[in-house]
Amino acid sequence: MMHEPLPDAHQDAYSKTVFGFWVYLLTDFMMFATLFAAYVVLHTKPIVLEKPLAQTLILLTASFTAGLAGTMAHRKNRLGTVGLFGLTFVLGTVFLWMMWVDLGRLVSAGQGWNTNAMMSALFTLLGTHGVHVVFALLWTLVLLVPVCVEGITLVTLRRLTCLRMFWQFINVVWVFIFSIVYLMGAYAGH
Amino acid sequence: MLDIEHKWNVGVWPLVVGYVLSAALTLGAYFIGSSLWIFVLAGTQALVQAVLFLHVGLESKPHWYLISFLFLLLVVVVVIGGSLWIMYNLNYQMMPM
Repeated sequence: MMHEPLPDAHQDAYSKTVFGFWVYLLTDFMMFATLFAAYVVLHTKPIVLEKPLAQTLILLTASFTAGLAGTMAHRKNRLGTVGLFGLTFVLGTVFLWMMWVDLGRLVSAGQGWNTNAMMSALFTLLGTHGVHVVFALLWTLVLLVPVCVEGITLVTLRRLTCLRMFWQFINVVWVFIFSIVYLMGAYAGH
Repeated sequence: MLDIEHKWNVGVWPLVVGYVLSAALTLGAYFIGSSLWIFVLAGTQALVQAVLFLHVGLESKPHWYLISFLFLLLVVVVVIGGSLWIMYNLNYQMMPM
């Protein structure tokens, strides 16, 4: 019995996976948009926060090294990929620690998540971003093991590309947090 | 260096340019203080990173990455703009006479 040749589902797995991950990132951004909307609506009085310039530049650098690691992955450079994603991991950990200290400072200053609706919205926004960083760190650790063992294969390249995009996405969200929460915080609400 | 599937440039230079521009925009926003210009700088920086880091709009036809990105912008404008608009209106209606 003859069968019609079916389209090979595995042939284009790379671009389909990357596009699917891209659509996930966009919907994740929509979730952040609702959190920003809640914060902006509830931001009824000015709040003076310490501006985290160092923290912002550290996350930007983490996004940059993740991009470089993606480039190294395309060149099948195992050492460069692992080294640069390792650097991303270190920078991401420092960023997370600084965020933790920052939030702890707010809580001990009597501006915790349970103070008022504005602070609840603020902690939800920052906390959601922090959880994204935690998962990015875990994912980096988990993914670097097969890369060390097997090297850059078609499968690991696909996963590394998604991880690279995830780090870059996290930093794009932080650009808005830095601007709206920290820089515009002192600007009186409506 | 191209990502063959997407015709993306995955070389080092777009990343370096994006990194320097983003750092400059961050520092600019930091020193400008509380002003509405910060939103312009933030939007510009997000766009710089979307194009130079995430290759939005640089892929081969059909431009699904770009189209889905534009749809995201529409949703964000509706969600944030709509929320502010309706809350402002409610404040206005609640204004004491």
